[in-house]
Amino acid sequence: MTGPSRIAPGGETLGFTFDGVAYRARAGDSLAAALLANGVGLVGRSFKYHRPRGVLSAGVEEPNALVTVGEGGRTEPNTRATDLFVYEGLVARSQNRWPSLGVDFGAAIGLFSKALPPGFYYKTFFGPAKRWLRYEWFIRRAAGLGPAPTLPDPDRFSQRAAFTDVLVVGGGPAGLTAALEAAEAGRRVILVEQDAMLGASLVRDADLPAQAWLGETVDRLHALGARILTRTTASGYWDHNFLSLTQRLAEPGAIPTHCVAQRLWHVRALQVVLAAGAIERPIAFTNNDRPGVMLSQAVRTYVRRFGVLPGCRVVIATNNDDAYRTAQALAEAGAEIVAVLDARPRPADVAERFPVFWNARPASVEGSRHHLRRVSAIVDGAERSWNADLLAVSGGFVPAAHLHMQAGGKLDWNEGAQAFTPGATPQACVTIGAAASPPASTVSAPVGHPKKSFVDFQNDVTLADIDLAWAEGYRSVEHLKRYTTLGMATDQGKTSNMLALARLAEKGRVAIPDAGLTTFRPPFTPATMGLLGGPAARHAGAHVRRIALHDSHAALNPIWQPLGYWFRPRAYPRGTETLAQASLREARSVRTGVGMADVSTLAKFEVTGPDAAAFLELVCATSVSKLAAGRGRYTFMLREDGMVFDDGTVWRVAEHRYLLTSSTGGADRMAAHISYVRNCLRPDLRVSAVNVQEHYAGIALAGPRARETLAALAGTTLPRHMSIEPGEIGGIPVWLLAASYSGERAFEIYAEATRIAPVWTALAAAVEAADGCPYGLEAMELLRIEKGHIVVGGEVDGRLTPHDLGLEKMLNKAGGFVGASGLGRPALSDRGRRELVGLEALAGTIPEGAMLVTAEGCPPEGHVTASARHILHGGSIALAHLADGRYRHAEELIATSPTRGLATRVRVVSPHFYDPAGDRYRD
Amino acid sequence: MTETSVTPLPRAPLHAIEIWSNPAAVATRFAAAGVALPPMGRSVQAEGTLLMRFEPAVWLAEGDIAPFAELLGEDGSATPIGGGIVRVRLAGPGWRTLLMEGGVFDAESPEFAPGCTAATIIEHVNVRLHVENADACTAYVPSSYAQALIDFWHEALPLLRG
Repeated sequence: MTGPSRIAPGGETLGFTFDGVAYRARAGDSLAAALLANGVGLVGRSFKYHRPRGVLSAGVEEPNALVTVGEGGRTEPNTRATDLFVYEGLVARSQNRWPSLGVDFGAAIGLFSKALPPGFYYKTFFGPAKRWLRYEWFIRRAAGLGPAPTLPDPDRFSQRAAFTDVLVVGGGPAGLTAALEAAEAGRRVILVEQDAMLGASLVRDADLPAQAWLGETVDRLHALGARILTRTTASGYWDHNFLSLTQRLAEPGAIPTHCVAQRLWHVRALQVVLAAGAIERPIAFTNNDRPGVMLSQAVRTYVRRFGVLPGCRVVIATNNDDAYRTAQALAEAGAEIVAVLDARPRPADVAERFPVFWNARPASVEGSRHHLRRVSAIVDGAERSWNADLLAVSGGFVPAAHLHMQAGGKLDWNEGAQAFTPGATPQACVTIGAAASPPASTVSAPVGHPKKSFVDFQNDVTLADIDLAWAEGYRSVEHLKRYTTLGMATDQGKTSNMLALARLAEKGRVAIPDAGLTTFRPPFTPATMGLLGGPAARHAGAHVRRIALHDSHAALNPIWQPLGYWFRPRAYPRGTETLAQASLREARSVRTGVGMADVSTLAKFEVTGPDAAAFLELVCATSVSKLAAGRGRYTFMLREDGMVFDDGTVWRVAEHRYLLTSSTGGADRMAAHISYVRNCLRPDLRVSAVNVQEHYAGIALAGPRARETLAALAGTTLPRHMSIEPGEIGGIPVWLLAASYSGERAFEIYAEATRIAPVWTALAAAVEAADGCPYGLEAMELLRIEKGHIVVGGEVDGRLTPHDLGLEKMLNKAGGFVGASGLGRPALSDRGRRELVGLEALAGTIPEGAMLVTAEGCPPEGHVTASARHILHGGSIALAHLADGRYRHAEELIATSPTRGLATRVRVVSPHFYDPAGDRYRD
Repeated sequence: MTETSVTPLPRAPLHAIEIWSNPAAVATRFAAAGVALPPMGRSVQAEGTLLMRFEPAVWLAEGDIAPFAELLGEDGSATPIGGGIVRVRLAGPGWRTLLMEGGVFDAESPEFAPGCTAATIIEHVNVRLHVENADACTAYVPSSYAQALIDFWHEALPLLRG
């Protein structure tokens, strides 16, 4: 019998498929173990040359055995078969092959490997960029990993924070010991292990006492309250001892309990202990990538943990002592050790239990589909070969120092181990165990054919590729990496980096530490996009903010409009009305009768105290202190550089009490600004500025019949324009503010948000009785554009001064407001600044966002900020920013949008298209 | 075993009390009235009203604030904000872990004990927390986000053992 097999068949209770073929597995089997147990050694095809690839390792460092797992939206490509535990019904498929894994036509690419050197793209695809579109189609089909799923992921992803005194990464003997010590000292402990079980090397090598210690330690940790996370990888180490952990709550492709597949942990730790162990290095020789060539410790893991024999006649190649334990394990499992190739010179007085060949290095292998047939080596300068179905290799060990480097730590060169070990670190972090002290090994130069001796299995990079890059002048390891793609892709060079560095050092005739180092970056292992998106992935990263009157609006079946995080009614169509028809009807209702709209989302601040006026004169660029109690005024706010960033109204409710409103979209920014002014600029003021945006809900009532409609309800004297009065509607106390955004006589009615519904109901009945209707954001936009009122985010874009917007006459002459100094800059008085203007179409419709040019081909001199139509008699109008706009009234321009193929001639006019004197709303 | 629960509470009067001058004198007046103004991150129960301090000069008062108006005098004011806040009680053995879902604050710390308060962000929403007792915590959530956050917590409840 040859090839991989189960040592003692039986107990296979789980069914799974690989490339459509049904197999059985034991509980606890990794997919790699299960495939080997079923005699399957060929698992995938390589990225570039489609070479047959098997299982190299038994852990997350696996570069070869990548599969696609799951079906539909749960499909996960590029999953390591060594990092996936079989569950009932698991569906796995091989990747990057056509038509099948066994017969892959893509392998023909290997025949042209000479034509595919490093830097292939750079050397080949010269010429117009358009040609790339043609190349790309072929390249994407010939090379690559597994295709991404096209269906939405049905599962959810959790993100959870954790704080701990000690975070231990690695559940092997060193990590467990450190965790236990910390827990027994009364510290909060989190222990992270990427495997499904704790123990690491103890699972592979432990005797009975060690197994007992493992069990006792884990029990003790649980008893002490330590949090132990298995199937969890510490994937990122950031500043201030902040680490991200990725936890699999379900195996890839499986249906998770509670629908949550993975969790991203955000952990802040006082102390981090890295006990991530070491990764075994492969050895470079001819065809070292074939199925049947495996890492020595991995072979031992399959034998002892999974009860799988990866081969029956085994050659072992090593430069260290650890591989002899693999020989022992294989022999105990019934395999024949036909040769141990030790690269070191024969030591004196050595007792050999196996046929050991000293000063021996593997040179090449030959194989069939699922295993090897023959292994050749150079022994004392002479070639020898053996019939064997497995070659277990150990080229030494590389400490898993990835997190240490991510933490900003340095690496020291360990001559004895021929590896970099963690050195000084700027964070509270220590590395222990094999990651700090890897086993000793020796230098052994490769003896195989460089063109077939693979360094980076995942990217098909050979020794010859490194040699060529060197010959072409690539000296820096960072350049070499990018030129050859070495160390990239899903494994990030976990098994290849040291081999490449050794070759680079050899070419440069320098020591390995002088050859340079690449940078380890997060994540340590690949993370899914869903995990990074977290719960927010389902709704584009944002919650839906519900307005207090949400249900009242919903009853009218409006068209909803996201506005920031809010959802607000855009229009209330009747029957088969379109959005445009509905919004025009609503706007006309306001112009000719009465309409009502929800304005609850406006920012609102209650400002009280003896210094409230002084505070507001700092925040607002208009004067405030002269306002009489019960009066209000329009105001706007500047940044410190003098640019307008928001506008609103300010109302003097009482002697020392004001209500300030500002835009919905700028509400959070305004809250931050007010806090800044209050706490940083003038903490001495006797004032309280409280954000009451959500405390009060508001309804606007607008139109020539607004006064009579409201008077019938409020039963009180209504305030005159820009005045405020308390009132009561439907038994609910309200504030009645007379202010107009629409250009018509209008009122804003504010009540505590929890009590606004009866007010809406009462107003709606009154409005309907007056033949009016509710209106949404679209009608509001038509009304304000026609009136020439600016909006934050449109005309107020953070680049215009009060003068640019035509607001300079409202500025507080006394100065002293935030932005007053900035306004004095000479450059703000220069000609050529963009200024607010109105536009009237000479024909057609003005495209929103269009550029303004004097003639075709001329540079843009402004742009359209908002476009609408005259509400009652038609005709396209717009607001715009135009260079020196105020001096260009009556000039004709072209509003053009080349990307949409739209253009129309326009005339520059005043931005106030409707009732410029304000006669319709003044008393 | 008691399950962890997420329960919206009835509306309650909530005010932001800000002291803008003479804080020591105000504290003395409060103390004379039997009310020790709590320090940052703490709360006190006083005459049926819960006073919680989240900011250097601002206290959140839950309940009747009439007794405090005179104590503030000309040194501060109280502004009603209850119309914009929903109180949600998280109760049961898992409330601390539940707050870690989408959170950034160490609600699992034993130092976050009954009587403690914190202002934090949970799943991108600004939330104020008050530990009622060992088995319950009240979250003060902006009304507009309340439904979304309550849904988020309900979906997270089954994960508490994960």
